[in-house]
Amino acid sequence: MPTLHRLTSLPPLPDRIWQATVHPTLPILALACADKAVHLFSLTTFAPLSTIDGGHKRSVRSVAFKPSTPSAPEIVLATGSFDATAGIWRHDNVNAENSWDGPVKAEGEDDEEEEEDWRFAVVLEGHENEIKGVAWNAGGDKIATCSRDKSVWVWEEMEEDNFETVAVLQEHSADVKAVCWHPEEDLLASASYDDTVRLYREDFDDWTCISILSGHTSTVWSIDFEKPHPSTLHDHSHSGPCTHTHESTTSRLVSASDDTTLRVWHRTSLPATKASRGLTPSIIRGQVLEEEWETQSVLPQVHTRAVYGVSWSGRSGRIASCGGDGKVVVYEEREVEGDVQESTDKPAEAAAEGAEETKEDEKKKVPAKKTEWVVIAELEGAHGVHEINSVTWSRRWDKDGKEGDEILLSAGDDGVVNVYTIE
Amino acid sequence: PFTVTPGQLYESDTSDSEEDFELDAEGDNGVEEIDSQEIYDLIAPISDPEHPLSLGELAVVNLPHIYITPGNPISTVLVEITPTITHCSLATVIGLGVRVRLEQALPPRYRVDVRIREGTHSTGDQVNKQLADKERVAAACENESLMSLLRKMLEGCK
Repeated sequence: MPTLHRLTSLPPLPDRIWQATVHPTLPILALACADKAVHLFSLTTFAPLSTIDGGHKRSVRSVAFKPSTPSAPEIVLATGSFDATAGIWRHDNVNAENSWDGPVKAEGEDDEEEEEDWRFAVVLEGHENEIKGVAWNAGGDKIATCSRDKSVWVWEEMEEDNFETVAVLQEHSADVKAVCWHPEEDLLASASYDDTVRLYREDFDDWTCISILSGHTSTVWSIDFEKPHPSTLHDHSHSGPCTHTHESTTSRLVSASDDTTLRVWHRTSLPATKASRGLTPSIIRGQVLEEEWETQSVLPQVHTRAVYGVSWSGRSGRIASCGGDGKVVVYEEREVEGDVQESTDKPAEAAAEGAEETKEDEKKKVPAKKTEWVVIAELEGAHGVHEINSVTWSRRWDKDGKEGDEILLSAGDDGVVNVYTIE
Repeated sequence: PFTVTPGQLYESDTSDSEEDFELDAEGDNGVEEIDSQEIYDLIAPISDPEHPLSLGELAVVNLPHIYITPGNPISTVLVEITPTITHCSLATVIGLGVRVRLEQALPPRYRVDVRIREGTHSTGDQVNKQLADKERVAAACENESLMSLLRKMLEGCK
Protein backbone atom coordinates (compact mmCIF):
# COMPACT_ATOMS: atom_id res chain seq x y z
CA MET A 1 0.00 0.00 0.00
CA PRO A 2 1.46 3.38 -0.97
CA THR A 3 1.83 6.06 1.65
CA LEU A 4 1.64 9.82 1.56
CA HIS A 5 5.16 10.97 2.25
CA ARG A 6 5.54 14.59 3.28
CA LEU A 7 8.27 16.02 1.08
CA THR A 8 8.25 19.48 2.63
CA SER A 9 6.07 22.20 4.11
CA LEU A 10 6.02 25.81 3.01
CA PRO A 11 6.69 28.54 5.60
CA PRO A 12 3.34 29.24 7.32
CA LEU A 13 1.24 32.18 6.17
CA PRO A 14 -0.27 34.52 8.77
CA ASP A 15 -3.81 33.25 8.31
CA ARG A 16 -6.02 30.45 6.98
CA ILE A 17 -5.38 29.36 3.41
CA TRP A 18 -8.63 28.86 1.51
CA GLN A 19 -7.28 27.54 -1.75
CA ALA A 20 -4.06 26.33 -3.34
CA THR A 21 -3.82 26.49 -7.13
CA VAL A 22 -0.96 25.58 -9.43
CA HIS A 23 -0.22 27.15 -12.79
CA PRO A 24 -1.14 24.70 -15.58
CA THR A 25 2.28 24.87 -17.25
CA LEU A 26 4.68 26.80 -14.98
CA PRO A 27 6.15 25.92 -11.57
CA ILE A 28 4.13 28.50 -9.67
CA LEU A 29 1.81 27.92 -6.71
CA ALA A 30 -0.78 30.55 -5.76
CA LEU A 31 -2.44 30.58 -2.35
CA ALA A 32 -5.69 32.39 -1.58
CA CYS A 33 -5.33 33.57 2.01
CA ALA A 34 -7.62 35.06 4.65
CA ASP A 35 -4.99 37.81 5.12
CA LYS A 36 -6.54 39.45 2.00
CA ALA A 37 -3.52 38.57 -0.13
CA VAL A 38 -2.42 35.97 -2.65
CA HIS A 39 0.93 34.37 -1.86
CA LEU A 40 3.04 32.92 -4.66
CA PHE A 41 5.62 30.17 -4.20
CA SER A 42 8.06 28.45 -6.51
CA LEU A 43 7.45 24.76 -7.11
CA THR A 44 11.06 24.20 -8.11
CA THR A 45 12.53 25.48 -4.83
CA PHE A 46 9.39 25.85 -2.65
CA ALA A 47 10.62 29.39 -1.87
CA PRO A 48 8.27 32.37 -1.64
CA LEU A 49 8.11 34.38 -4.87
CA SER A 50 5.86 37.31 -4.05
CA THR A 51 2.77 38.49 -2.22
CA ILE A 52 -0.02 40.23 -4.05
CA ASP A 53 -1.80 42.39 -1.53
CA GLY A 54 -3.59 45.70 -1.42
CA GLY A 55 -6.19 44.64 -3.96
CA HIS A 56 -8.88 43.19 -1.74
CA LYS A 57 -10.56 44.50 1.39
CA ARG A 58 -11.46 41.03 2.74
CA SER A 59 -10.25 37.42 2.51
CA VAL A 60 -9.11 36.16 -0.85
CA ARG A 61 -11.24 33.03 -1.14
CA SER A 62 -10.22 31.73 -4.54
CA VAL A 63 -7.44 32.10 -7.07
CA ALA A 64 -7.04 30.87 -10.66
CA PHE A 65 -4.34 31.06 -13.32
CA LYS A 66 -5.12 31.85 -16.91
CA PRO A 67 -3.80 29.00 -19.05
CA SER A 68 -0.84 30.33 -21.03
CA THR A 69 -1.05 29.59 -24.72
CA PRO A 70 1.69 30.00 -27.35
CA SER A 71 -0.25 32.90 -28.82
CA ALA A 72 -0.74 34.50 -25.41
CA PRO A 73 2.23 33.63 -23.23
CA GLU A 74 1.42 36.14 -20.51
CA ILE A 75 1.02 35.11 -16.90
CA VAL A 76 -2.31 36.23 -15.52
CA LEU A 77 -4.06 35.52 -12.24
CA ALA A 78 -7.69 35.96 -11.18
CA THR A 79 -8.70 36.41 -7.54
CA GLY A 80 -12.12 36.18 -5.93
CA SER A 81 -12.70 37.79 -2.56
CA PHE A 82 -15.21 38.06 0.26
CA ASP A 83 -15.26 41.78 -0.68
CA ALA A 84 -17.55 40.76 -3.61
CA THR A 85 -15.01 41.64 -6.29
CA ALA A 86 -12.75 39.63 -8.54
CA GLY A 87 -9.36 40.95 -9.58
CA ILE A 88 -7.22 40.30 -12.64
CA TRP A 89 -3.46 40.55 -12.13
CA ARG A 90 -0.77 40.47 -14.79
CA HIS A 91 2.82 39.46 -14.38
CA ASP A 92 4.95 41.72 -16.52
CA ASN A 93 8.11 39.70 -16.48
CA VAL A 94 7.08 37.02 -18.96
CA ASN A 95 10.45 36.37 -20.48
CA ALA A 96 12.15 35.34 -17.29
CA GLU A 97 11.64 31.59 -17.67
CA ASN A 98 14.03 30.97 -14.84
CA SER A 99 12.61 33.52 -12.49
CA TRP A 100 10.32 30.95 -10.87
CA ASP A 101 13.05 29.46 -8.72
CA GLY A 102 12.60 32.18 -6.13
CA PRO A 103 14.41 35.34 -5.22
CA VAL A 104 18.08 35.27 -6.11
CA LYS A 105 18.92 38.46 -4.31
CA ALA A 106 20.68 38.81 -1.01
CA GLU A 107 18.76 38.52 2.21
CA GLY A 108 17.58 41.78 3.66
CA GLU A 109 16.86 43.34 0.32
CA ASP A 110 13.27 44.45 0.24
CA ASP A 111 10.65 42.80 -1.88
CA GLU A 112 9.22 45.99 -3.29
CA GLU A 113 10.77 45.63 -6.69
CA GLU A 114 9.64 42.08 -7.08
CA GLU A 115 6.08 42.67 -6.03
CA GLU A 116 5.72 45.30 -8.68
CA ASP A 117 6.08 42.50 -11.20
CA TRP A 118 2.41 41.84 -10.55
CA ARG A 119 0.26 44.59 -11.94
CA PHE A 120 -3.36 44.97 -10.97
CA ALA A 121 -5.19 45.08 -14.31
CA VAL A 122 -8.97 44.90 -13.85
CA VAL A 123 -11.58 44.62 -11.14
CA LEU A 124 -14.69 42.61 -11.98
CA GLU A 125 -17.64 44.07 -10.13
CA GLY A 126 -21.22 42.92 -10.09
CA HIS A 127 -21.69 40.29 -7.40
CA GLU A 128 -23.71 41.45 -4.43
CA ASN A 129 -21.95 39.35 -1.78
CA GLU A 130 -18.79 37.37 -1.11
CA ILE A 131 -17.22 35.70 -4.12
CA LYS A 132 -16.54 32.06 -3.28
CA GLY A 133 -14.98 30.76 -6.46
CA VAL A 134 -13.22 31.88 -9.59
CA ALA A 135 -12.12 29.72 -12.53
CA TRP A 136 -10.59 30.24 -15.97
CA ASN A 137 -11.70 28.10 -18.91
CA ALA A 138 -9.24 25.97 -20.87
CA GLY A 139 -9.20 28.39 -23.79
CA GLY A 140 -8.25 31.25 -21.49
CA ASP A 141 -10.91 33.60 -22.87
CA LYS A 142 -13.56 33.18 -20.16
CA ILE A 143 -13.74 33.46 -16.40
CA ALA A 144 -16.51 32.17 -14.18
CA THR A 145 -17.20 33.57 -10.72
CA CYS A 146 -19.72 32.48 -8.10
CA SER A 147 -21.03 34.08 -4.96
CA ARG A 148 -23.20 33.87 -1.89
CA ASP A 149 -25.65 35.97 -3.94
CA LYS A 150 -26.63 32.57 -5.52
CA SER A 151 -25.40 33.53 -8.96
CA VAL A 152 -22.69 32.34 -11.33
CA TRP A 153 -21.27 34.92 -13.72
CA VAL A 154 -19.42 34.25 -16.94
CA TRP A 155 -17.03 36.96 -18.11
CA GLU A 156 -15.45 37.01 -21.54
CA GLU A 157 -12.26 38.86 -22.35
CA MET A 158 -13.16 40.74 -25.51
CA GLU A 159 -9.77 42.39 -25.84
CA GLU A 160 -6.93 42.67 -23.39
CA ASP A 161 -8.23 43.78 -20.00
CA ASN A 162 -11.72 44.37 -21.30
CA PHE A 163 -14.04 41.85 -19.69
CA GLU A 164 -17.69 41.69 -20.55
CA THR A 165 -20.38 39.91 -18.56
CA VAL A 166 -21.82 37.34 -20.94
CA ALA A 167 -24.03 35.49 -18.47
CA VAL A 168 -25.56 35.84 -15.03
CA LEU A 169 -26.80 32.38 -14.12
CA GLN A 170 -29.26 32.31 -11.24
CA GLU A 171 -30.04 28.62 -11.13
CA HIS A 172 -28.97 27.79 -7.62
CA SER A 173 -31.28 28.46 -4.69
CA ALA A 174 -28.41 29.29 -2.32
CA ASP A 175 -24.77 30.29 -1.88
CA VAL A 176 -22.59 29.00 -4.74
CA LYS A 177 -19.38 27.54 -3.35
CA ALA A 178 -17.26 26.67 -6.37
CA VAL A 179 -17.02 26.86 -10.14
CA CYS A 180 -14.98 24.61 -12.42
CA TRP A 181 -14.55 24.39 -16.20
CA HIS A 182 -14.26 21.20 -18.22
CA PRO A 183 -10.63 20.68 -19.30
CA GLU A 184 -11.53 20.66 -23.00
CA GLU A 185 -15.09 21.80 -23.58
CA ASP A 186 -16.71 25.12 -22.69
CA LEU A 187 -18.76 23.26 -20.12
CA LEU A 188 -19.06 24.98 -16.74
CA ALA A 189 -19.94 23.36 -13.41
CA SER A 190 -20.99 25.04 -10.18
CA ALA A 191 -21.40 23.59 -6.68
CA SER A 192 -23.72 24.98 -4.05
CA TYR A 193 -25.04 25.17 -0.53
CA ASP A 194 -28.30 23.97 -2.11
CA ASP A 195 -26.66 20.46 -2.25
CA THR A 196 -26.53 20.33 -6.06
CA VAL A 197 -24.01 20.68 -8.85
CA ARG A 198 -25.23 22.42 -12.00
CA LEU A 199 -23.78 22.35 -15.49
CA TYR A 200 -24.02 25.09 -18.11
CA ARG A 201 -23.27 25.55 -21.79
CA GLU A 202 -23.58 28.36 -24.25
CA ASP A 203 -26.41 28.08 -26.73
CA PHE A 204 -25.75 30.76 -29.33
CA ASP A 205 -25.60 33.83 -27.14
CA ASP A 206 -27.35 32.37 -24.14
CA TRP A 207 -25.81 30.36 -21.35
CA THR A 208 -28.22 27.79 -19.97
CA CYS A 209 -28.26 25.17 -17.28
CA ILE A 210 -28.08 21.82 -19.05
CA SER A 211 -27.99 19.43 -16.13
CA ILE A 212 -28.60 19.25 -12.40
CA LEU A 213 -26.61 16.74 -10.38
CA SER A 214 -28.58 15.80 -7.27
CA GLY A 215 -27.48 13.20 -4.76
CA HIS A 216 -25.50 14.92 -2.06
CA THR A 217 -27.43 15.55 1.12
CA SER A 218 -25.61 18.71 2.14
CA THR A 219 -23.49 21.56 0.75
CA VAL A 220 -21.22 20.66 -2.15
CA TRP A 221 -17.90 22.36 -1.40
CA SER A 222 -15.64 21.44 -4.25
CA ILE A 223 -15.76 19.93 -7.74
CA ASP A 224 -13.22 18.86 -10.32
CA PHE A 225 -13.44 17.38 -13.78
CA GLU A 226 -11.52 14.34 -14.91
CA LYS A 227 -8.61 15.37 -17.12
CA PRO A 228 -7.64 13.78 -20.41
CA HIS A 229 -5.22 10.98 -19.58
CA PRO A 230 -1.73 11.26 -20.99
CA SER A 231 -1.32 8.49 -23.56
CA THR A 232 1.79 7.26 -21.76
CA LEU A 233 -0.47 5.71 -19.17
CA HIS A 234 -1.28 2.95 -21.63
CA ASP A 235 2.19 1.60 -21.17
CA HIS A 236 1.76 1.09 -17.46
CA SER A 237 1.44 -2.33 -15.92
CA HIS A 238 -1.95 -3.81 -15.08
CA SER A 239 -1.68 -2.82 -11.47
CA GLY A 240 -1.51 0.84 -12.43
CA PRO A 241 -4.44 3.17 -12.82
CA CYS A 242 -6.84 2.01 -15.51
CA THR A 243 -7.29 3.98 -18.67
CA HIS A 244 -10.58 4.97 -20.18
CA THR A 245 -12.00 4.58 -23.60
CA HIS A 246 -13.98 7.76 -23.94
CA GLU A 247 -13.87 9.05 -27.47
CA SER A 248 -12.27 12.44 -27.55
CA THR A 249 -13.12 13.97 -24.24
CA THR A 250 -13.51 12.99 -20.66
CA SER A 251 -16.98 13.11 -19.23
CA ARG A 252 -16.69 12.70 -15.52
CA LEU A 253 -16.73 15.01 -12.54
CA VAL A 254 -16.02 14.46 -8.85
CA SER A 255 -17.79 16.39 -6.09
CA ALA A 256 -16.96 16.77 -2.40
CA SER A 257 -19.61 17.54 0.18
CA ASP A 258 -20.43 18.54 3.71
CA ASP A 259 -22.30 15.21 3.84
CA THR A 260 -18.75 13.70 4.23
CA THR A 261 -18.90 11.84 0.90
CA LEU A 262 -17.40 12.23 -2.56
CA ARG A 263 -19.28 11.28 -5.70
CA VAL A 264 -18.06 10.57 -9.20
CA TRP A 265 -20.62 11.58 -11.85
CA HIS A 266 -20.56 10.59 -15.48
CA ARG A 267 -22.32 11.83 -18.57
CA THR A 268 -24.73 9.17 -19.75
CA SER A 269 -26.10 11.06 -22.72
CA LEU A 270 -24.63 13.63 -25.01
CA PRO A 271 -27.03 16.18 -26.45
CA ALA A 272 -27.22 14.41 -29.82
CA THR A 273 -27.77 10.98 -28.29
CA LYS A 274 -30.61 12.24 -26.23
CA ALA A 275 -32.35 13.95 -29.12
CA SER A 276 -32.10 10.83 -31.26
CA ARG A 277 -33.54 8.69 -28.50
CA GLY A 278 -36.53 10.99 -28.55
CA LEU A 279 -36.61 11.70 -24.85
CA THR A 280 -39.01 14.32 -23.63
CA PRO A 281 -37.55 17.60 -24.72
CA SER A 282 -37.80 20.71 -22.67
CA ILE A 283 -38.91 23.20 -25.26
CA ILE A 284 -38.27 26.24 -23.14
CA ARG A 285 -34.72 25.27 -22.32
CA GLY A 286 -33.73 24.10 -25.79
CA GLN A 287 -33.69 20.32 -25.72
CA VAL A 288 -30.56 20.03 -27.80
CA LEU A 289 -28.35 21.12 -24.99
CA GLU A 290 -29.54 19.08 -22.07
CA GLU A 291 -27.30 16.34 -20.81
CA GLU A 292 -27.86 13.51 -18.40
CA TRP A 293 -25.31 13.08 -15.66
CA GLU A 294 -25.61 10.33 -13.08
CA THR A 295 -23.71 9.20 -10.05
CA GLN A 296 -21.26 6.56 -11.20
CA SER A 297 -19.84 5.82 -7.79
CA VAL A 298 -19.64 7.06 -4.26
CA LEU A 299 -16.01 6.92 -3.21
CA PRO A 300 -15.17 4.77 -0.19
CA GLN A 301 -16.20 6.70 2.89
CA VAL A 302 -13.20 7.78 4.91
CA HIS A 303 -13.95 11.34 5.98
CA THR A 304 -15.83 11.92 9.21
CA ARG A 305 -16.48 15.64 8.76
CA ALA A 306 -17.16 17.95 5.81
CA VAL A 307 -15.02 17.32 2.72
CA TYR A 308 -13.77 20.73 1.60
CA GLY A 309 -11.39 19.99 -1.23
CA VAL A 310 -11.07 17.56 -4.11
CA SER A 311 -8.63 17.32 -7.00
CA TRP A 312 -8.53 14.88 -9.95
CA SER A 313 -5.04 14.28 -11.24
CA GLY A 314 -4.39 14.55 -14.95
CA ARG A 315 -1.22 12.51 -14.56
CA SER A 316 -2.21 9.47 -12.55
CA GLY A 317 -6.00 9.69 -12.73
CA ARG A 318 -6.06 9.58 -8.94
CA ILE A 319 -8.44 11.65 -6.83
CA ALA A 320 -7.39 13.37 -3.61
CA SER A 321 -9.65 14.86 -0.94
CA CYS A 322 -9.30 16.77 2.32
CA GLY A 323 -11.62 18.09 4.98
CA GLY A 324 -12.62 19.26 8.41
CA ASP A 325 -11.44 15.99 9.95
CA GLY A 326 -7.84 16.90 9.07
CA LYS A 327 -7.41 13.96 6.70
CA VAL A 328 -5.87 13.83 3.25
CA VAL A 329 -7.11 10.81 1.28
CA VAL A 330 -6.02 9.46 -2.12
CA TYR A 331 -8.28 7.21 -4.22
CA GLU A 332 -7.45 5.17 -7.28
CA GLU A 333 -9.72 3.56 -9.83
CA ARG A 334 -9.16 -0.11 -10.45
CA GLU A 335 -10.63 -2.41 -13.00
CA VAL A 336 -12.73 -5.14 -11.49
CA GLU A 337 -12.38 -8.65 -12.79
CA GLY A 338 -15.44 -10.56 -13.96
CA ASP A 339 -18.96 -9.66 -13.00
CA VAL A 340 -18.25 -8.03 -9.71
CA GLN A 341 -20.49 -5.03 -9.35
CA GLU A 342 -19.75 -3.80 -5.93
CA SER A 343 -17.02 -3.82 -3.43
CA THR A 344 -17.73 -4.54 0.16
CA ASP A 345 -16.46 -1.20 1.34
CA LYS A 346 -18.91 0.73 -0.82
CA PRO A 347 -22.08 2.01 0.81
CA ALA A 348 -25.19 0.10 -0.18
CA GLU A 349 -26.51 3.11 -2.03
CA ALA A 350 -23.47 3.26 -4.24
CA ALA A 351 -23.76 -0.41 -5.05
CA ALA A 352 -27.38 0.05 -6.03
CA GLU A 353 -26.55 2.94 -8.27
CA GLY A 354 -23.69 1.02 -9.78
CA ALA A 355 -26.08 -1.76 -10.69
CA GLU A 356 -28.50 0.60 -12.37
CA GLU A 357 -25.75 2.13 -14.32
CA THR A 358 -24.70 -1.26 -15.62
CA LYS A 359 -28.17 -1.88 -17.04
CA GLU A 360 -28.08 1.52 -18.71
CA ASP A 361 -24.77 0.75 -20.28
CA GLU A 362 -25.93 -2.56 -21.67
CA LYS A 363 -28.85 -0.86 -23.31
CA LYS A 364 -26.53 1.53 -25.02
CA LYS A 365 -24.28 -1.34 -26.07
CA VAL A 366 -21.29 0.50 -24.72
CA PRO A 367 -19.22 -2.14 -22.98
CA ALA A 368 -18.12 -0.07 -20.02
CA LYS A 369 -15.27 -1.50 -18.07
CA LYS A 370 -16.23 -2.29 -14.53
CA THR A 371 -14.22 -0.29 -12.12
CA GLU A 372 -14.12 0.48 -8.45
CA TRP A 373 -12.44 3.21 -6.49
CA VAL A 374 -10.15 2.19 -3.67
CA VAL A 375 -8.36 4.22 -1.03
CA ILE A 376 -4.66 3.86 -1.69
CA ALA A 377 -3.32 6.30 0.89
CA GLU A 378 -4.67 8.17 3.86
CA LEU A 379 -3.02 10.63 6.20
CA GLU A 380 -4.71 11.58 9.43
CA GLY A 381 -3.89 14.87 11.13
CA ALA A 382 -2.06 16.03 8.01
CA HIS A 383 -2.11 19.58 9.39
CA GLY A 384 -2.02 18.62 13.03
CA VAL A 385 -5.35 19.44 14.62
CA HIS A 386 -6.30 21.90 11.88
CA GLU A 387 -8.89 21.63 9.14
CA ILE A 388 -7.73 21.29 5.55
CA ASN A 389 -9.44 23.42 2.94
CA SER A 390 -7.79 22.58 -0.34
CA VAL A 391 -5.83 19.86 -2.13
CA THR A 392 -4.30 20.05 -5.57
CA TRP A 393 -2.13 17.83 -7.75
CA SER A 394 0.88 19.18 -9.58
CA ARG A 395 3.64 18.04 -11.80
CA ARG A 396 6.79 17.60 -9.69
CA TRP A 397 9.24 20.39 -10.57
CA ASP A 398 11.97 20.25 -7.89
CA LYS A 399 15.41 18.90 -8.71
CA ASP A 400 14.89 15.57 -6.94
CA GLY A 401 11.88 14.68 -9.05
CA LYS A 402 11.87 12.61 -12.21
CA GLU A 403 10.05 13.25 -15.45
CA GLY A 404 6.38 12.38 -15.02
CA ASP A 405 6.42 12.50 -11.21
CA GLU A 406 3.60 14.25 -9.45
CA ILE A 407 3.12 15.85 -6.08
CA LEU A 408 0.05 16.56 -3.99
CA LEU A 409 -0.36 19.81 -2.06
CA SER A 410 -2.71 20.47 0.86
CA ALA A 411 -3.54 23.84 2.43
CA GLY A 412 -5.10 24.37 5.83
CA ASP A 413 -6.49 26.64 8.48
CA ASP A 414 -2.99 26.70 9.98
CA GLY A 415 -1.69 28.73 7.02
CA VAL A 416 0.56 25.83 6.05
CA VAL A 417 0.95 24.08 2.71
CA ASN A 418 2.22 20.50 2.81
CA VAL A 419 3.80 18.90 -0.22
CA TYR A 420 3.53 15.11 -0.58
CA THR A 421 4.75 12.39 -2.82
CA ILE A 422 3.02 9.03 -2.91
CA GLU A 423 5.48 6.21 -2.42
CA PRO B 1 0.24 12.28 34.20
CA PHE B 2 -3.41 13.16 34.03
CA THR B 3 -5.39 10.51 32.26
CA VAL B 4 -8.97 10.68 31.30
CA THR B 5 -11.62 8.05 31.46
CA PRO B 6 -14.82 8.09 29.49
CA GLY B 7 -16.87 8.24 32.65
CA GLN B 8 -15.41 11.54 33.71
CA LEU B 9 -15.94 13.12 30.35
CA TYR B 10 -19.42 12.16 29.39
CA GLU B 11 -21.16 14.10 32.12
CA SER B 12 -23.91 15.11 29.81
CA ASP B 13 -23.27 12.86 26.91
CA THR B 14 -25.22 9.70 26.50
CA SER B 15 -23.84 6.29 25.80
CA ASP B 16 -25.57 6.18 22.42
CA SER B 17 -22.83 8.27 20.91
CA GLU B 18 -22.55 6.84 17.44
CA GLU B 19 -18.98 7.57 16.71
CA ASP B 20 -16.23 5.46 18.11
CA PHE B 21 -13.59 7.90 19.09
CA GLU B 22 -10.34 6.46 20.18
CA LEU B 23 -9.37 7.55 23.58
CA ASP B 24 -5.80 8.08 24.50
CA ALA B 25 -5.43 4.47 25.56
CA GLU B 26 -1.73 4.61 26.29
CA GLY B 27 -2.15 7.79 28.22
CA ASP B 28 1.03 9.07 26.63
CA ASN B 29 -0.28 12.56 26.10
CA GLY B 30 -2.69 12.74 29.00
CA VAL B 31 -4.78 15.33 27.18
CA GLU B 32 -6.96 17.15 29.66
CA GLU B 33 -10.48 17.48 28.35
CA ILE B 34 -12.51 20.56 28.94
CA ASP B 35 -15.79 19.66 30.62
CA SER B 36 -19.27 20.88 29.82
CA GLN B 37 -19.36 23.15 32.86
CA GLU B 38 -16.34 25.00 31.51
CA ILE B 39 -18.02 25.30 28.12
CA TYR B 40 -21.15 26.59 29.83
CA ASP B 41 -19.15 29.16 31.74
CA LEU B 42 -17.65 30.42 28.49
CA ILE B 43 -20.97 30.99 26.75
CA ALA B 44 -23.51 31.69 29.51
CA PRO B 45 -22.39 35.35 29.92
CA ILE B 46 -22.98 36.16 26.23
CA SER B 47 -25.73 38.76 26.19
CA ASP B 48 -28.84 38.38 24.13
CA PRO B 49 -28.87 40.81 21.19
CA GLU B 50 -32.25 42.23 22.18
CA HIS B 51 -32.65 41.65 25.90
CA PRO B 52 -30.54 43.06 28.70
CA LEU B 53 -30.01 39.49 29.87
CA SER B 54 -27.44 36.79 29.26
CA LEU B 55 -27.96 33.57 27.30
CA GLY B 56 -27.55 31.69 30.58
CA GLU B 57 -30.21 33.76 32.35
CA LEU B 58 -32.62 33.32 29.44
CA ALA B 59 -31.91 29.55 29.37
CA VAL B 60 -30.92 29.82 25.73
CA VAL B 61 -27.84 27.84 26.69
CA ASN B 62 -28.22 25.06 29.24
CA LEU B 63 -25.64 22.84 30.86
CA PRO B 64 -27.37 19.52 29.97
CA HIS B 65 -27.42 20.54 26.30
CA ILE B 66 -23.65 20.68 25.99
CA TYR B 67 -22.09 17.50 24.65
CA ILE B 68 -18.39 16.78 24.48
CA THR B 69 -17.07 13.95 22.36
CA PRO B 70 -13.44 13.49 23.34
CA GLY B 71 -10.98 12.34 20.75
CA ASN B 72 -7.30 12.26 20.15
CA PRO B 73 -6.30 14.66 18.86
CA ILE B 74 -9.62 16.17 17.78
CA SER B 75 -12.51 16.56 20.23
CA THR B 76 -15.95 17.83 19.39
CA VAL B 77 -18.11 20.20 21.40
CA LEU B 78 -21.78 20.33 20.52
CA VAL B 79 -23.93 23.07 21.98
CA GLU B 80 -27.67 22.96 21.49
CA ILE B 81 -29.30 26.33 21.94
CA THR B 82 -32.92 26.95 22.81
CA PRO B 83 -34.26 30.18 21.30
CA THR B 84 -36.66 32.11 23.55
CA ILE B 85 -39.38 32.00 20.91
CA THR B 86 -39.79 29.54 18.03
CA HIS B 87 -39.60 32.21 15.34
CA CYS B 88 -36.76 34.18 16.87
CA SER B 89 -35.18 36.03 13.97
CA LEU B 90 -31.94 36.41 15.85
CA ALA B 91 -31.35 32.71 16.40
CA THR B 92 -28.59 32.70 13.78
CA VAL B 93 -26.83 35.65 15.38
CA ILE B 94 -27.05 34.03 18.82
CA GLY B 95 -25.67 30.77 17.43
CA LEU B 96 -22.91 32.66 15.68
CA GLY B 97 -22.02 34.38 18.95
CA VAL B 98 -21.74 30.99 20.70
CA ARG B 99 -19.64 29.50 17.91
CA VAL B 100 -17.31 32.50 17.66
CA ARG B 101 -16.91 32.67 21.44
CA LEU B 102 -15.95 28.99 21.65
CA GLU B 103 -13.66 29.08 18.64
CA GLN B 104 -11.80 32.00 20.16
CA ALA B 105 -11.59 30.48 23.62
CA LEU B 106 -10.86 26.82 22.86
CA PRO B 107 -7.63 25.34 21.49
CA PRO B 108 -7.76 24.54 17.78
CA ARG B 109 -8.10 20.81 18.43
CA TYR B 110 -11.76 21.38 19.33
CA ARG B 111 -14.39 21.32 16.61
CA VAL B 112 -17.36 23.41 17.63
CA ASP B 113 -20.85 22.51 16.47
CA VAL B 114 -23.72 24.79 17.42
CA ARG B 115 -27.25 23.69 16.69
CA ILE B 116 -30.77 24.75 17.53
CA ARG B 117 -32.31 22.23 19.91
CA GLU B 118 -34.76 20.13 18.01
CA GLY B 119 -38.29 21.43 17.90
CA THR B 120 -37.48 24.80 19.41
CA HIS B 121 -37.33 26.88 16.26
CA SER B 122 -39.48 27.07 13.13
CA THR B 123 -36.52 27.17 10.76
CA GLY B 124 -34.05 25.22 12.89
CA ASP B 125 -32.60 23.19 10.03
CA GLN B 126 -31.76 26.29 8.02
CA VAL B 127 -30.14 27.96 10.98
CA ASN B 128 -28.16 24.79 11.74
CA LYS B 129 -26.82 24.52 8.22
CA GLN B 130 -25.68 28.12 8.23
CA LEU B 131 -24.01 27.78 11.63
CA ALA B 132 -22.17 24.65 10.44
CA ASP B 133 -20.76 26.41 7.37
CA LYS B 134 -17.21 27.52 8.23
CA GLU B 135 -17.06 29.79 5.21
CA ARG B 136 -20.26 31.62 6.11
CA VAL B 137 -19.00 31.99 9.68
CA ALA B 138 -15.63 33.29 8.44
CA ALA B 139 -17.30 35.75 6.09
CA ALA B 140 -19.60 36.93 8.86
CA CYS B 141 -16.55 37.63 10.99
CA GLU B 142 -15.30 39.98 8.27
CA ASN B 143 -18.62 41.80 8.16
CA GLU B 144 -18.13 44.93 10.25
CA SER B 145 -21.76 45.59 11.16
CA LEU B 146 -22.32 41.98 12.23
CA MET B 147 -19.05 41.99 14.16
CA SER B 148 -19.91 45.14 16.09
CA LEU B 149 -23.14 43.43 17.15
CA LEU B 150 -21.21 40.29 18.12
CA ARG B 151 -18.64 42.31 20.06
CA LYS B 152 -21.45 43.85 22.07
CA MET B 153 -22.92 40.42 22.79
CA LEU B 154 -19.53 39.11 23.87
CA GLU B 155 -18.70 42.12 26.09
CA GLY B 156 -19.83 40.22 29.17
CA CYS B 157 -17.31 37.44 28.52
CA LYS B 158 -14.00 38.11 30.11
